[in-house]
Amino acid sequence: MKNETVIEILEEANTEIASASTSERLQELKIKFLAKKSVLMSLMSELGKLPPEERKSFGQMLNETRTKISALIEQKETEIRKQELQKKLEREEIDITLPGRNADVGGQNPFYVVKDEITDIFLNMGFEVADGPEVETDLFNFELLNIPKDHPARDMQDTFYISDNVLLRTHTSPVQAHTMQVAGGKPIRIICPGKTYRRDDDDATHSHQFAQIEGLVIDKNINIGHLKATLELFAKKMFGEKREIRLRPSYFPFTEPSVEVDITCANCDGKGCSMCKGTGYIEILGGGMVHPNVLKMNGYDPEVYSGFAFGIGIERVAILRYGIDDIRKFYQNDVRFLHQYRKKA
Amino acid sequence: MLVSLKTVRQFVNLDGLSAEDIANGLTFAGIEVEEVVTLASGTNLVIGHILECVAHPDSDHLHVLKVDLGPKYGIQQIVCGAPNAREGLKVIVANIGAKLPGGEIKASKIRGVESNGMCCSLLELGVDAKNLRKEQTEGIEELPADAEVGNEDVLGYLGLDDQVLNLKVLANRPDLLSLYNVAREIGAIFDREVKIPTYEVKNTFTTDLKVGSETDKCTQFSGREIKNIKIKESPKYMKEALLAMGVRSINNIVDIGNYVMLLTGQPLHMYDKDKLEKAELIAKSDFSCDFVALDEQTYKVIPGDIVISSNNEAMCLGGVMGANKCAVDENTKNIYIEAASFDGASIRHTSNRLGLSSESSQRFVKGTNHYQSEAVINFASNLIKELCEGEQFSNIVVYQSEKKPESTLKCRFSHINNRLGTDFSNKEIIDVLNRLYFKAEQLGEDEFVVNIPEFRLDVTCEADISEEVIRILGFKHVKSELPALDTKVGGLTLSQSRLRKIRDYLLLNGLDECLTYSLLSKENATKFNLLHDEDKYELLNPLTDEREVFRTHILFSLLESALYNYNRQNKDLALFETSNMMSKTSRSEHLSIVLLGNKLERDMMKKTPYDFFDMKGLVEGLFSLLGVEASRYKFERYSSEKEELHPGKSAKILFQNQVIGVFGELHPIALQALGLNKTNCVVLEMNIDPLLNAKVTLAKMNPISKFPSVSRDLAMLVDKKIPASDIIKLIKVSGKGLVKDARIFDVYEGEGIVKNLKSIAVNIVIAKEGTLTDKEITDLMDKIKYDLAKSFKVELRM
Repeated sequence: MKNETVIEILEEANTEIASASTSERLQELKIKFLAKKSVLMSLMSELGKLPPEERKSFGQMLNETRTKISALIEQKETEIRKQELQKKLEREEIDITLPGRNADVGGQNPFYVVKDEITDIFLNMGFEVADGPEVETDLFNFELLNIPKDHPARDMQDTFYISDNVLLRTHTSPVQAHTMQVAGGKPIRIICPGKTYRRDDDDATHSHQFAQIEGLVIDKNINIGHLKATLELFAKKMFGEKREIRLRPSYFPFTEPSVEVDITCANCDGKGCSMCKGTGYIEILGGGMVHPNVLKMNGYDPEVYSGFAFGIGIERVAILRYGIDDIRKFYQNDVRFLHQYRKKA
Repeated sequence: MLVSLKTVRQFVNLDGLSAEDIANGLTFAGIEVEEVVTLASGTNLVIGHILECVAHPDSDHLHVLKVDLGPKYGIQQIVCGAPNAREGLKVIVANIGAKLPGGEIKASKIRGVESNGMCCSLLELGVDAKNLRKEQTEGIEELPADAEVGNEDVLGYLGLDDQVLNLKVLANRPDLLSLYNVAREIGAIFDREVKIPTYEVKNTFTTDLKVGSETDKCTQFSGREIKNIKIKESPKYMKEALLAMGVRSINNIVDIGNYVMLLTGQPLHMYDKDKLEKAELIAKSDFSCDFVALDEQTYKVIPGDIVISSNNEAMCLGGVMGANKCAVDENTKNIYIEAASFDGASIRHTSNRLGLSSESSQRFVKGTNHYQSEAVINFASNLIKELCEGEQFSNIVVYQSEKKPESTLKCRFSHINNRLGTDFSNKEIIDVLNRLYFKAEQLGEDEFVVNIPEFRLDVTCEADISEEVIRILGFKHVKSELPALDTKVGGLTLSQSRLRKIRDYLLLNGLDECLTYSLLSKENATKFNLLHDEDKYELLNPLTDEREVFRTHILFSLLESALYNYNRQNKDLALFETSNMMSKTSRSEHLSIVLLGNKLERDMMKKTPYDFFDMKGLVEGLFSLLGVEASRYKFERYSSEKEELHPGKSAKILFQNQVIGVFGELHPIALQALGLNKTNCVVLEMNIDPLLNAKVTLAKMNPISKFPSVSRDLAMLVDKKIPASDIIKLIKVSGKGLVKDARIFDVYEGEGIVKNLKSIAVNIVIAKEGTLTDKEITDLMDKIKYDLAKSFKVELRM
């Protein structure tokens, strides 16, 4: 009789636990079946009243039943917790298409992208970066570069003057003279990026302020072939491995011979298009062999030392590379423009 | 310099060379040809005569013409739409098969009427409309009545069978402002024969003209008197040559002057002899007078201007313009002709000052050959003889103050090849120099000598000779080879790489990197100039008053960029720029930052306006980026009479007790003035040189304690004016030894807090090398509370 009751309890517990779906309900069932006042526990407390021969086997049965129910509840508990966690996680689902926090990396005026990149190319070739003042003396901007007073070449560069002998540098070339004077006869390998000024009205292709990167190498036995190879390497790194360069004779008072350097047009690969006006080439920079007078005036013996120099227009390179149609855009800093450019990794 | 190929062809053999070939040849020899202009083009052209002109039966504007094309082509029917087509007119006819710039002419039926050719306008032959009169662009070309019917050399007849090269003459090659020298150059490039004619016109009488110079600005002056000339129109060839080279034809004598100048590069001046009171022409440079020039305008002459005087009166502004008084006119009979050499710099000053520039003055400014004046006068005389019926020519009187300089130069073959990176043979070098008139001769094994031609003012040293060699033989011969240089460390210096680091840091924080102009107006150069508003450089010759001062700060320019964007609906901005600043007394690298509107976030869910602490955080970040400890810098309240920064929300940055920067929120009045009153703006100007050059020591490792630390919070009410940093400082002093850190984690004032007080909450970290007991902690906290209460009259809240 008692045995049957226990079996019934187990069956009942089995059914009810199986049908429980919340942890609250399970808690109720735990009380109902396993609390002190539950049928099972009251039977347990009455064990002592049973005859000893029955006591052992019935006690064992009660214990087993309690263990079974406990296990059932525990099992169910795990199950429910898992379900509840699952539901909680489902409720917590977010819209992962919403944007992340924090600002994007800042945009960079393409001027700096190009300036830093050119600088890095030459740094990797073992050049150092030299520096010079933007407010210059006539001596450094002109005279020490073989452009004496009233030299016709001064007409090529309309100059902003501060006084008769002080001016805004019209090119970065004065840094050549500064560097030579400081180096005192030792070999030189420098570039100098910097701002320059000319008395030009601003329009789409002219700017009273622009920037150049000056390059200067002085050593024994330097020749034009070295200039050509150096600039070839630069052109390939800057504009792509397929670019070729071409030298054309030109004139700068501080180099002799002087050259203009053209690269094959990136737009048409040298076949000729509207960008290169059908020539297949685009002019990117000027250079040449340092004039013996310049070496002499700045403390180098032109019989022993020779050197090459070049000047690259930073905006010009950026204009060619990015197809920028108006040089004034560099100085407006429209953020819609800046955000198109980021430093290359 | 415009070069007529038809004219230059007279002096150099151009057979088999197209205009493009010549242009390329010149360009790759360093003489850039900017443009090749073909005056006109067309094949199968012939001069016709309209015999009959009737209206087209099926059109209200077309005509049906019967045109006589001469015996070869006979009489042809042509349908023509030109309003000026009429009987009796001589016209240009493009026959069937003619190739015109617009296409090929084919036999056709126009509205049912057969048409065998086309009557042409010059426009249809490709003549630039700007060189045509209006009526020439609206109808067919009307040829003179005496035009020969059947003549097939129509372009020749019109003088349009020419091509013109536009040369960009660089400052070192003024000799190329002479067609003769261009011919020599082409001859050298293509190794062609060059024939420059020379003339000699013998004198028939002796002149009493005296020439001379009382100034070192005129080193050479030659003159000749010519009698009994007739002024009339120039011949067709000369008019056409002048026109092709951009010079207007006036009359034979003026045209001869210009023609000779274009060919030889030597400007000439003609005086009407009978208008001069004295037979003398003396160059001076000490005149101070009013001068009525050929253009009938009066100019002020000042000392330094070169004047050609006669009887102590200015008769010509040397190299610039003659006086009206002695100008050659249609009645002139007797002339003096002048060929002189003037100092380019003086001519440039005069010409710039008076705004007078001419083909002559430009040649003097760039430099002329000082040793050809007699040859040039003879050339001109010869033309005067031919074209002006000049009969009597005097001797040539010459003043020359300088000796012809030494023109030989010794060079080394090895030196030339070493400079160029080439291996040209001795013969190649000698040959190419001889093509260029350098009369090169080998002296020894490695030595040769050249004679610099007198027109090559630019060649003075061996390097110049190397350039002559390479520009003719071509840079394709240069071996491209990287220089083998010593290995060295190279790379950026510490301060250069720190600048890069700072820029990268700001970019990574989402700020955009800007570039602005260095020149500002006087007024703007002082606005928002928070650090160095003094000793600014000002330009002597600004282009506009918007750009006349060299700036000593970036902030104004950056605010302008911010406004540019703000006015284009980009209202949340974070901009920065680094740039080198120069004043009369200093040179330093600056950083400026402008934060405008709300913080830049990818989302827009919450809008947080930028404030003082965003900027302060960036600045503190900069120091930490470069490893500068907090003890080396501090912030102090900024005050200024200018209403630019909010007095309560701005600060100075002190680094090693020097003010190196100022930042803060803009003053409401400044915001209003900029049109930014609906938003907020935080700005910074900082001299980062001290940071770029700061000495930073390597940190030695500090052992990390094995014992746990304890954290306690303290909240208090204090007077609003007491800086939080003072409270922190006091806590650290008070708990010296045990307090490892103290940080503010909450500040509150307003509702629920007594006016003039604020609530501050501080987190204190306590630790020692050992286990802390409760008592130690309680005692410490009691001491801190006591010290705080004593110093700041704080009311502790927990």
